[in-house]
Amino acid sequence: MPPKAQFIREDGLYHSFCGLVSVGWLYQKIKDSFFLILGTHTCAHLLQNTLGVMIFARPRFAVSLLEEGDLSAAQPSIAEQIEEIKREHKPSVIFLLSSCTPEVMKVEFEGLAHSVSTAETPVLFVPASGLDFTFSQSEDSVLQALLPFCPKAPPEDKRVVFLGSVNDAIGDDFLLEAQKLGIPVAGFLPANHFHELPPIGPGTIIAPLQPFLPKVANLLMNERGATILSSLFPFGPDGCRAFWEDLAAHFGLKVDLAEREAQAWARISEHTALLKDKKVFFASDTLLELPLARFARAAGANVVECSTPHINRRFHARELERLEGVRLVEQANFERQLRSMADDQPDLVISNIITANPLTGHGIVAKWGTEFIFSPIHGWAGVNTLVGLFTRVMRRRAKLDTIALDPVWTAGVMPSMPEGEFKL
Amino acid sequence: MRLAYWMYEGTAHHGVGRITNSMRGVHAVFHAPQGDDYVTTIFTMLERTPGFPRMTTSVVNGNDLIRGTIRLPETLKQVAEAHKPELIVVVASCSTILLQENLEITANSVGLDCDIVIYDANPYRMQETGAADGLFTELVKKYATTQPLTAQPSVNILGPSSLGFHARHDLISLRRIMKALGVEVNVVAPWGASVDDLRRLPAAWLTIAPYRELGTQAAKYLQEQFGTATLLEAPIGVQPTLRWLEALVAGLNARGEQAGVATKVTMPPLTAFSLDGMSAPSNVPWFARTADMESFAGKSAFVFGDATHTVGMTKFLADELGMPIVGAGTYLLKEAAWVREQLADYVKPEDFLATDEFQQVAERIAELRPELVCGTQMERHTGRRHGLNVMVISQPTHIENHLLAYRPFLGFDGADVIADEVYTTCTLGMEKHLIDMFGDAGLDEVEQAPSVASNGHAASNGHSADPAQVAQPALAAAGAGATAVVNPVWTPEAEATLKKVPFFVRNKARGNIEKYARERGIATITAEVFLAGKEHLGA
Repeated sequence: MPPKAQFIREDGLYHSFCGLVSVGWLYQKIKDSFFLILGTHTCAHLLQNTLGVMIFARPRFAVSLLEEGDLSAAQPSIAEQIEEIKREHKPSVIFLLSSCTPEVMKVEFEGLAHSVSTAETPVLFVPASGLDFTFSQSEDSVLQALLPFCPKAPPEDKRVVFLGSVNDAIGDDFLLEAQKLGIPVAGFLPANHFHELPPIGPGTIIAPLQPFLPKVANLLMNERGATILSSLFPFGPDGCRAFWEDLAAHFGLKVDLAEREAQAWARISEHTALLKDKKVFFASDTLLELPLARFARAAGANVVECSTPHINRRFHARELERLEGVRLVEQANFERQLRSMADDQPDLVISNIITANPLTGHGIVAKWGTEFIFSPIHGWAGVNTLVGLFTRVMRRRAKLDTIALDPVWTAGVMPSMPEGEFKL
Repeated sequence: MRLAYWMYEGTAHHGVGRITNSMRGVHAVFHAPQGDDYVTTIFTMLERTPGFPRMTTSVVNGNDLIRGTIRLPETLKQVAEAHKPELIVVVASCSTILLQENLEITANSVGLDCDIVIYDANPYRMQETGAADGLFTELVKKYATTQPLTAQPSVNILGPSSLGFHARHDLISLRRIMKALGVEVNVVAPWGASVDDLRRLPAAWLTIAPYRELGTQAAKYLQEQFGTATLLEAPIGVQPTLRWLEALVAGLNARGEQAGVATKVTMPPLTAFSLDGMSAPSNVPWFARTADMESFAGKSAFVFGDATHTVGMTKFLADELGMPIVGAGTYLLKEAAWVREQLADYVKPEDFLATDEFQQVAERIAELRPELVCGTQMERHTGRRHGLNVMVISQPTHIENHLLAYRPFLGFDGADVIADEVYTTCTLGMEKHLIDMFGDAGLDEVEQAPSVASNGHAASNGHSADPAQVAQPALAAAGAGATAVVNPVWTPEAEATLKKVPFFVRNKARGNIEKYARERGIATITAEVFLAGKEHLGA
């Protein structure tokens, strides 16, 4: 066993989104699904402000709105709404997501979902409330809910299942790469459609593509006897090499990707030259922070802090090894982070979208982390996009003149702006 | 319980944030789950704030609930230390309010130097507007202090706030007017105001509170309590601005007389209100009479939004640009009676809409197909779907409504901005004549846009994309009481005749003819039916 990774747990992250925002990509990923959130005006307001897309198209998600009169009911009634959704959207599966208020009301969600679930259109409970789940974490809950619908694979079916939602282009990349290396693929969890879920059994190797899925990985191991690939996540040349070599090893294939990795680094040398010795501070909330920081470090950056909502010692073990010596913080306190930034004077802060503009207003070069979630940064094909997300803001800022930091250029923009608060 | 896809008003929580993020030295602390912090994004991204909005979430998580941990005292200490506010406003969230904790005792137990207000905003009874106005009024009541009037005539400007619709621009417009009049601005609030500014409110001679949604209650309180004169109208449009100026001058002078002050405010020449001090204060009166505005006489408009802007815009379009109003309404149900009364001479009762469900507004717009839709960002989406011309006149807004240039809605400057926007949003005059005269005029390929849009609309209502059914949702909305809805079928020759109708009114014509046929129980629309219908409808 490697030495236990050291990290600091602080008293709470608050600049973040709740788990409901995962709906933003999951409803698009699982094309015949519907996401029903049992929640309040707050949930609806969150979704329309963070996922503005919903009003452009025909959304496959909605909020079943708890109003004052509903608060006293022992168990809310959603049967009519489920019928309406089936009529209008004809989904193959409906996910029923919890939120803070019904959690406080102690709504019995399993029973509620069960009462409206049919063999034809299952209704699956997904814990996602902001009391317990941050940002991408609720994808973990959605995949756990899907697990019973994955066919059971016989022990002799020794194939890989890629875990975590990625878009079709990335999916194809992983399929091709596996083919090239001679690794048999059973499919993806989640698949594009409810009825395309991959068979999983004791012979299955689960290869996690996303670092925010520790619970479903654990469940796959315990319930199906599947083997979880313990490696780096496939981000960056270093991550991809480790991922594919380790995965191949599970199939008895000895693969050396040293040259491939070197070529990939060489292709992005212009970017890594820019990142070399730059102080990078991770303060985002997507749960991609550990692998991103590991990549940034491998690319030559000096990672002065890596804060992330949650660290899982087992699921993130290999990433943690590579981050030894970096200040790792779980549930970071924002005021403390600001003080640390003032001390460290980082060259780049990977922040969340909530604080990107204010940090910039304080002289920080900030890149909002959400963009990493919505960009194709996985695998060998994603390397260029990945590194570009780090360097683009630095390059662009270098091109702009420096007058923007003079308070005169932001005077009057923000009515509550205290005087003189412009530098961290 | 109902199924919600989108809502006009934000939450009470958001309304509180709009007040604290407007003020200096005031900080909101939300006793809420971590996820409730998403509201901060709305400020930092839409307003592109260079500073951190004055709000902190005191996190409540699942474990805290199990263990009975309450982090509020610690958060309050941290906020007091880091930001040194004069006032902290503590609010519960939609989930934590159910815990029925006594936040007053918890917060006061910390023993902070600053003031603490526990704002009782019940998220199930209050939304954004009510919570913002309620908190602001409460703060004015708490701090406004009796004091002598300013030596020179002065006003308070109440209402401009963070994320208020074009609020910063309106404030500039009002300040310019005050400068031209030689009237001092005593306090602007909540925009940029400190607690101390609230204390000084009674020193003003008069309070201007142009927005029905925010500031009116506080202005009335100042009048009742301190005798401060009030001016509660919104100067939207040239004539309303002129009347507003008269009332302002009269109000200030009456207040001065009452207080025994000799100084009088006099109206300067109107050119003093122009940007260069020597031109017409607004170009609207002349513009409205020019040859190219003639065509606006027949352009129909539909207006939907908050109370202030719906009323102001409807009157402006009708009175100053001569446009027919085919419908108007508001999503602020509490203000609906006021809006209805204000617009009694402009909108027929059956054309007035008070609803907070955007689908109803969308259906009405689809049915009317007006040449100009004034609405919120939701109506902009609706309009785009139906290939209609839309301008945004009210919250809720989208990032594209947060532009850099000076774009007020109030005052003479505002009149010019609104008129320009109406003009560039609508299909222009001569162009329209040519299309009317020669049909598609080579623009046939443009037809794809509206037809795709209508299909999208039909699909979103769960109907097929059959063009003959496109009008169905509109009919359902009209609630004609028809039990069996028959969708008339078009013969090919009738379709061909319809083709000759200019593309941008073709869908409207289709809907009207189908309505005509349905009312008469005609199942098949032939060329004859089409012509008879067209004659009947007078188009």
